[in-house]
Amino acid sequence: MKKLLSLFIVVCLVMTLVILPGCGKSADESKTTQESKSTQENKTSKGDKSAKTKKYKIATVPKVSNIAWFDRMEEGVKEFAKDTGHDAFQVGPQKADAALQVQIIEDLIAQKVDAITVVPFSTEALEPVLKKARDKGIVVISHEASSLQNIDYDIEAFDNAAYGAHFMEHLAKLMGEEGEYATFVGSLTSKTHNEWVDAAIKLQKEKYPKMKLVAEKQESYDDQKTAYEKTRELLKAHPNLKGIQGSAMGDAPGAALAIEEMGLTGKVHVVGTSLVSVAGKYLESGSCDLIGFWDPAKAGYAMNQLAVMVLEGKEIKDGLNLGIPGYENLKLKDKVFYGQAWVDVTKENMNEYDF
Amino acid sequence: MKKILSTNEFLVALIIIVLSIIIGSKNSVFFTAGNLIDLLRSGIVMGIFAIGVLIVIVSGGIDVSFTAIASFCMYTTTKVLNYYDFQGSVLIAFVLAGAMGLILGLINATFISFFKLPTLIVTLGTASMYSGFLLAFVGVREISNLPAGMSKFAKMNILKVTSENGVVSSLHFSILILIAVVIITWLLLRYTMLGRGIYAIGGDRVAAERAGFNITAIQFFIYGFVGLLSGIAGIVHTTLMRNSNPVNLLGMELIVIAAVVLGGARITGGHGTVLGTLLGLFLVIIMNNSLILLGVPSYWQRLVIGILILIGTGATAYRTMRSSRQLHRNSVG
Repeated sequence: MKKLLSLFIVVCLVMTLVILPGCGKSADESKTTQESKSTQENKTSKGDKSAKTKKYKIATVPKVSNIAWFDRMEEGVKEFAKDTGHDAFQVGPQKADAALQVQIIEDLIAQKVDAITVVPFSTEALEPVLKKARDKGIVVISHEASSLQNIDYDIEAFDNAAYGAHFMEHLAKLMGEEGEYATFVGSLTSKTHNEWVDAAIKLQKEKYPKMKLVAEKQESYDDQKTAYEKTRELLKAHPNLKGIQGSAMGDAPGAALAIEEMGLTGKVHVVGTSLVSVAGKYLESGSCDLIGFWDPAKAGYAMNQLAVMVLEGKEIKDGLNLGIPGYENLKLKDKVFYGQAWVDVTKENMNEYDF
Repeated sequence: MKKILSTNEFLVALIIIVLSIIIGSKNSVFFTAGNLIDLLRSGIVMGIFAIGVLIVIVSGGIDVSFTAIASFCMYTTTKVLNYYDFQGSVLIAFVLAGAMGLILGLINATFISFFKLPTLIVTLGTASMYSGFLLAFVGVREISNLPAGMSKFAKMNILKVTSENGVVSSLHFSILILIAVVIITWLLLRYTMLGRGIYAIGGDRVAAERAGFNITAIQFFIYGFVGLLSGIAGIVHTTLMRNSNPVNLLGMELIVIAAVVLGGARITGGHGTVLGTLLGLFLVIIMNNSLILLGVPSYWQRLVIGILILIGTGATAYRTMRSSRQLHRNSVG
């Protein structure tokens, strides 16, 4: 009896192990929707394929599923589902890990979704699985990954070089165009982060020769605590450091907390990508000077919209209008669309954004 | 004298000194009071975890669920207190998180003790369960605005050092929590029958049982204690970062276990000291927090950390192997 009971427990534990990682609530949701959907699909797939009422199943896969940034993206995905009636949902890994993302996409392929929109953690790691998806006829749209090969289209909120360089313009102004500075990226394999920072460094070398890069591309692993600890260390190793440019969402607030605690507010300036809900208190206290972002909800909406247009076989060309602010006149370069959707926030206008 | 020289603690301390001298000679900032305070500060949360892990490892088990328990306790506590707009003392937060941790720890103990399942399997399973439950039912969004009592606690420092260029380094109050935990655990392991029992189970379970130790009770104590410590560590982590994130502690468990093993606790159980654990922890923290001071480019940092851990654990493991061989030879001869 006892043996049987313990066997049962082991089975239960193994089940939780298999089911839980990588999928929270949304996975369960997608499972039930998948069942109802597949019966529906059987009916339609044999019938008229060009029927305009066809509802597609579109999955959005973020880098990681539980940070404010991708929560906001999920709002956009849900809004899209509500507006259009398509079965659109978001499912992402519990922590930022390329292997977990691959695993989720494998699952989605097995679930026979019509389209996958993805924000890759590591572009190289995703190529094989995205190729597999496309071979199965799944439309793949990516975001923050202009170098991906195995996609239909990539959509970027803006030209990364221009976005990265605009941070440097602000940082240079704050630093009086001279002094030492450092840059953070979420990971050395995060494509966009590196493009922003590369463009910023290039601009600095051309335009602000008195500024000096002392620590290039510190990795924060998209973790605020790491950004915080590395900032403290940077400030000890380089006491004359005057500026920090962050890339991941926790970089700017992590750096700002370190600066605030070390009593260097106003002496060291911080700019970077973040959200008001995360970095707001540091904007207010002055330890973080400026944050920039693009609305992830709109990006999520735009990816799904583009996926549907591809699925419906609409003409896709330069100047495409998705009907979303900032994505009305998209510039096409190879497979990559560029919008004009960035927002700068300082202490003055931070109250206009509630996410 | 020879006895002291051949202890594991001495070896780890030696590695720390050598490493410190190397880093210090490259960058003199390493030896400033400010840097020392920063190192201590980044060791607070890991330190509380490490003490819990030490007890488990001494008893011959292994626990990988403590970060999940800590995340669960700190996030739920923050959320509940925010919901009621709680304005009172941080003590309530500690009590709440500690109680939750204790309960989750006792759940672990139930599986381990009554069903006699391997500790690794149980804690792997429960870790996944706890964090899955947290993300599915409590919430996923990080909380940046902490309850009043916790934000006040976040600014409580016991020591402030201002360097010549105006940089302030402050030692947070929670270091006292770590010190208290260390002293209590040290007394427990060294001077109580319960402590003897923990070593006895790790050394030889059957012998311990025959010697009259109540194994079930001891195991309930061990995993309950670890749960309690994890809950407290969770709140400390949240207040130090002034932000409650339900996942960013996850993944820390391996480095903590590595620190404890570096400090001479044997994964097979029965061996391990509080002092050794603290030294092992300090070594890991120095490795983790000095690569920028050394000027190691970020492309190389992961590689260097891996190499240092390998050398560190390799050295202690080699020493353990040699000493056990010697023991064998002595007992034969």
